[in-house]
Amino acid sequence: MTAVEFINLLISALLLAGLYAAVAVGMTIIYGVMKIVNLAHAGFMMLGAYFNYELFEWLHLDPMAGALLSLPVFFVFGMGVHWLLVRWLPKSDQPTLSSLLLMFGFWLVLQNVGYLIWGNSDRAILTAHRRTLPLGPITIPTAGLVVFIAAVTCLAVLQFILHKSWFGRSVTALIQNPYAAQIVGVDHQKTSQLTFGLGTAFAGFAGALMAMLFSFNPDFGRPFLVRAFVIIVLGGLESVTGVAFGALILALIETFGILFIPAGYQPAISFGLLVVVLLVFPTGIAGLLKRKWRLA
Amino acid sequence: MNRSSHRFTVILLLVAAVAGLIAGCKKGGGGDGITIGVVLPITGREGKPGQYQREGIELAIKQINDKGGLTVNGKKLQLKEVFYDDGSDSAKSASLVERAISSDSATAVLGGYSTALGQAESVIPDRYQTPWITTGAAASTIFNHGYQYTFGTLSPTTLLGGITAEFLGAQVDQGKLKKGLKIAMAVENTDHGVDYAQGIEDWIKQHPGYFTIVFNEKFDLGSPDFSGLLQKIKSAKADIFLADAHLADYITMQRQYLQNGLHHQMISYGARGPEADAKKALGAGTDYIFAGIWWSKKLQYPQEQKFVNDYKQFTGREPDSWYAATAYDGMRALALAIEQANSTDKTAIRDALRKVELKDSLLPGGAMKFGPNGQVGNGFLIVQNKPGDKVDIVFPKDVATGDAIAPIPAK
Repeated sequence: MTAVEFINLLISALLLAGLYAAVAVGMTIIYGVMKIVNLAHAGFMMLGAYFNYELFEWLHLDPMAGALLSLPVFFVFGMGVHWLLVRWLPKSDQPTLSSLLLMFGFWLVLQNVGYLIWGNSDRAILTAHRRTLPLGPITIPTAGLVVFIAAVTCLAVLQFILHKSWFGRSVTALIQNPYAAQIVGVDHQKTSQLTFGLGTAFAGFAGALMAMLFSFNPDFGRPFLVRAFVIIVLGGLESVTGVAFGALILALIETFGILFIPAGYQPAISFGLLVVVLLVFPTGIAGLLKRKWRLA
Repeated sequence: MNRSSHRFTVILLLVAAVAGLIAGCKKGGGGDGITIGVVLPITGREGKPGQYQREGIELAIKQINDKGGLTVNGKKLQLKEVFYDDGSDSAKSASLVERAISSDSATAVLGGYSTALGQAESVIPDRYQTPWITTGAAASTIFNHGYQYTFGTLSPTTLLGGITAEFLGAQVDQGKLKKGLKIAMAVENTDHGVDYAQGIEDWIKQHPGYFTIVFNEKFDLGSPDFSGLLQKIKSAKADIFLADAHLADYITMQRQYLQNGLHHQMISYGARGPEADAKKALGAGTDYIFAGIWWSKKLQYPQEQKFVNDYKQFTGREPDSWYAATAYDGMRALALAIEQANSTDKTAIRDALRKVELKDSLLPGGAMKFGPNGQVGNGFLIVQNKPGDKVDIVFPKDVATGDAIAPIPAK
């Protein structure tokens, strides 16, 4: 492989990592605070993609503006879903079967509502950023770059909120120790509702961004859900940085791994990685690095 | 049980009930005449093509019944359809075929749109010795088990690969492409993809000197990123790129293909290419892509125009792609076989299906006959996208509506 080919692949992996991080972060914070494995995350992503598509089709809104608009809309939607369904779940500091079933059932409902409204045809958005940005022999896909910048900016804003606001500190406290957090005055119910709204907003945002890169139908989101699990396991549950780290590892391994094994085995890369990390580093690679850092 | 748990249980049941209600619906009936079971997806992932196939079958049934029905033993018998929606679910699909045969006493069953659903249904007919015609599944795995009651109106995917290679070979013969060009193949990791690649490889082996395959790999369905695969294809330095993909993968891969600055003398995504959704997503990025398809309304046989007009009158719109045409012919072939068997005995109908020839078929060639394994062997039409939303049939020559553009001009 030439140096140019290597750099092109590295750029592809970085752009993919930004997208993966946007996909996984919403799921991570919901799991961290509520210990809910949000299988409906894929459904929210699908709705985000269609939300952007409809704005583009009917109002001719730029897909990037549509993606940004999806944040407040899906935040409110997520709060509504929490109020309607999630708040009735029995509280637990471990994932429960009832929460898993509820979110799975809700995903099926979203999917079938999608089929009723939009049918099963694949849809896509014809973005203005179709070509590449040439930097000498190196080529950068412009659509991927725009999506990457949007994803990384939103993740940075989220990181800022989690570190600098009362809400962010409440979220971090609940992730670290829910009992101690409540003793010092964190309102678990209110924080959970806001977190669920935030997680849903990021799912919708990720879906809206992906609509600029991929075609989609009501089944959209499933392959990304699996990757989100891998990223969570790799990066740990405590920070946006961990998610970004997990996303980067997965994207690098997937992109470069395909050079050495047949492309048909690409899913085996993520699943294989998941199994290896769970067996060798149960706290995730981020947890392992953190422990080593403390020991040092 | 406390109040919160009780509420939660009620919510969970409501969610389950709504999911169930949305996921499935059934329409059926009983009575005199000849009962034909139809099992297709009209909801779920495959709902749209399933609906088109249902319309093709129902149009054929309506036309037959409007003429008084089928003549069996001197009596006119009306066709009665028992329809089940399998919701794009393989397990449900197989059990509904069983139900149509055992509970509704269907004389024959049509259906099985998409390879996965067709494969699931294909194990039932021999068990109940009831003729079954799949109008939407083509993979060889359905037809190479030696089933005796299985028939199909889609030509095999290996033939699609073979005709794709034959079309490219014709461009070499015409001097448009050079001899000895290198081909890179990337096919989906399904029976469809495997059969397609096999067809191309077989043709190349039988016609030495035309092409060499320098890259051949399978990829996973629904993959979010093809950059690694495309980099390998770029490194292979091939002249022609042939892929076999579902629509979603076709759109994603072609978008990344363009963004990575790739260019080949010819490019195809198997049976995908002229779809309006792809055009909408990629604009001029789909220009010059060629595809092999089972049917086109641009075919010039007299029966094509009649079918298009009848379908439009029946549904209010023109047929979208090939879905309705193969289903329409499947039902007409079954009707002809019942009349030729002059009986409603299932084995007699099966025997008649083996011999029946639909002489005014909509499929390429204008006539349709089931082969020894139950599958038809009509050819494919090669169509090519051209600038300005134009799509031409470019191969075979006798039905072509325009010339193939080869090689693709560099942009």
